[in-house]
Amino acid sequence: MLTKKGIEMSFGWIFALVAGIVIIFLAIFISTKLLGTEQETTSAEVGKEISILLNPLETGFESAQTTSITIPTETRIHNGCDLIDTFGRQSIQLDQKTLNQWVKTNVNVFSSNKYIFSNSEIEGKKFYIFSKPFQFPFKISDLIYMTSSLDTYCFVDAPYDVEEEISNLNQANLLTENCSAANIQVCFKRADCDINVNDNGEYVEKNNEILYFTGTGDDSKALMYAAIFSDKEVYECQLKRLMLRLRELSILYINKEILTSSQGCDENLGADLNTLGNLAVGLNNSVDIGVVKMQVDEVSDKNNVRRCLLW
Amino acid sequence: MVGKKGQLKIQQMIFMLLAVTFLFILVGLIFLSVRLSSLKKTASSLGEENAMLLVSKLANSPEFSCGNSFGGSRISCIDFDKLMILKDHVEDYGDFWGVAKIEIRIVYPNEGNVICSKSTYPDCSIIKLLDKNVNTLPANSNFVSLCRKDTNGKIIFDKCELARILVSSEDKG
Repeated sequence: MLTKKGIEMSFGWIFALVAGIVIIFLAIFISTKLLGTEQETTSAEVGKEISILLNPLETGFESAQTTSITIPTETRIHNGCDLIDTFGRQSIQLDQKTLNQWVKTNVNVFSSNKYIFSNSEIEGKKFYIFSKPFQFPFKISDLIYMTSSLDTYCFVDAPYDVEEEISNLNQANLLTENCSAANIQVCFKRADCDINVNDNGEYVEKNNEILYFTGTGDDSKALMYAAIFSDKEVYECQLKRLMLRLRELSILYINKEILTSSQGCDENLGADLNTLGNLAVGLNNSVDIGVVKMQVDEVSDKNNVRRCLLW
Repeated sequence: MVGKKGQLKIQQMIFMLLAVTFLFILVGLIFLSVRLSSLKKTASSLGEENAMLLVSKLANSPEFSCGNSFGGSRISCIDFDKLMILKDHVEDYGDFWGVAKIEIRIVYPNEGNVICSKSTYPDCSIIKLLDKNVNTLPANSNFVSLCRKDTNGKIIFDKCELARILVSSEDKG
């Protein structure tokens, strides 16, 4: 008398259900993975593009060059640096906003011949970039300063040369007058601003941290701008990378001196350049930059009295 | 009879599942190969863009530039002496410039096709600075002056020649 009510399912139905569920789950899984990969690819492509677009910033006669990059979507640029290999590496990693959410990617674009000074994370759509040659005592590289259009820097009581240079750059987010309270204040004669520059003591104080700078020649302020626009971690690492390149260039000049001596050129710098290279590579942090500078001055003086200038 | 029918149904199901799986794998492989080829093309075109932008500025980079060695600042001037030293140390530079090949050829005065080495320098005209021995895209080039110190036994003078710098990127496609 007991009646069992149920739905009788044919093999076709069971198969369609099992296969359908598997297919739907696979499709969702694969499309999620593909979306992630696509985002990582775009991030890598844009990162590489940025890195390539920085090539024209190599200066010749110019004391500075400026440009800007606009990215269609809201972007976070992570500026990284390491000391791997002979010259260390500059890394750029991008996160982009998709559907009002930040999508994190782990793709780093590396380059060994770039030195970007910025905060370790900058955000926006438009990024301003300017570059200056760093000579110590010979040209080491061009330093690239990257800032977001969302951050406006106001240079208060800047020395005449700095004020003139900032005005000549004509970069919309670098001001020397008509500043507002929302701007990042960079002060040269006060010590209570967001960023305080002590030109005589050759240091920049920001976030209760001190970054030392120095310089030689006509563009002696290259490291000062680097300290202003970057945070301590980026600044110290890039400074070490610059010192690694200084050592390699010293080796080139030591050998060039030997080569040109056969043409009758003087041979007075080998030992000093060797010392300079060793001091540079032994730099622990920016506090030691003054010691390297002393040797740089000595080497520079000796080069200036040579019959054949080495650089 | 019923057992045999059941076995047949199970076999059918296995075959169908296998077929569906193979179909997915096939579609996936086709998609991946298309995507990979497009990625390779993008990588190649980015490399070419790098070479194109680099070639115009490379002469001004510290490893190449004349600086003030030849009387005042010169733009697009390569120090031949420094270049020969760099050639010996190029393994330290590895992927420094991100390109596959860098070559400098003296255009005027043309001294044949002698490749520069320690024994032929300075009577040579081709400096093969970097060659990664990979397939490369057509080279981008730029005219530069190639200067070195020379002597006639009495005085030291600057000798500058017209040269072309050629930069090639790797063909990844």
